[in-house]
Amino acid sequence: MTDGEIRELCNRFFDAYQDRRIDALAEIYAPDCSVWHNVFGRETTGAENLAALPKSYEGQRRRSYDDRTINTFEGGFVIQYTLAGVQHNGHRGALWICIVGLCRDGKITRIDEYMDSSKFAAWAGAGRKGREA
Amino acid sequence: MRRDSETLALCDRFFDAIEQKDFATVERCYAPEAIVWHSHDCLYQARESNLETLRDGMNRLKKMRYRNRRIHVFEGGFVQQHTLFVTHPDDFVGQMDVCFVAYTRDGMISRAYEYFDAGQIEKFLGPAGRGARVSREG
Repeated sequence: MTDGEIRELCNRFFDAYQDRRIDALAEIYAPDCSVWHNVFGRETTGAENLAALPKSYEGQRRRSYDDRTINTFEGGFVIQYTLAGVQHNGHRGALWICIVGLCRDGKITRIDEYMDSSKFAAWAGAGRKGREA
Repeated sequence: MRRDSETLALCDRFFDAIEQKDFATVERCYAPEAIVWHSHDCLYQARESNLETLRDGMNRLKKMRYRNRRIHVFEGGFVQQHTLFVTHPDDFVGQMDVCFVAYTRDGMISRAYEYFDAGQIEKFLGPAGRGARVSREG
């Protein structure tokens, strides 16, 4: 894959994630795709990752994957971005995440995700009941 | 034009030097304007302050080891994923999974971003570190 193709795949992946297009994500994951999260310290399959998404999306009214800085290398990409979320009570939170993705034949074969779980409470607005001013 | 081998060499030189407590080489890996961002506070740390943090770790810790290094070179930099193992003075061995994204120029690191899970800091600092941290915060 060329640099341009990898960059386009990366953006298509995050656009689909943002738009909750699980069907599109299923097309982007290779059949043997694996997903590793630093927070959980374990690997899941692409299928398991997709199966968990509907429940995961329930948490927020809206999510956007902003400030994307994408760099491509032979067979993959690294993306640094801000995950901005609006909770159902209007609370706005953010997480700063880095993902290393490996690609083959126009699909993603592996994802390694690095985030900071100590920011989850602030992201979710734990303890907040109403919309922030 | 990419010079992947030079960037790979810089990456290895930097992390090897930390392991070997070779502070002079670590210092030479940073460009004069180098800044380092960390995901736990989302702040950029200035070169001298970051070097001081590294020097302190190199002096205080018995060992620092970067294991399972996976490096990819891109135009203008590299990303390294590793597990950092540190042996504390009380022999507790802490560990942390880290993703280090570096932007380089002229064979030096100019800007770096370090991502890790501060929610697992006790796995890294151990019981003694937890006490020290609470003490500092208190």
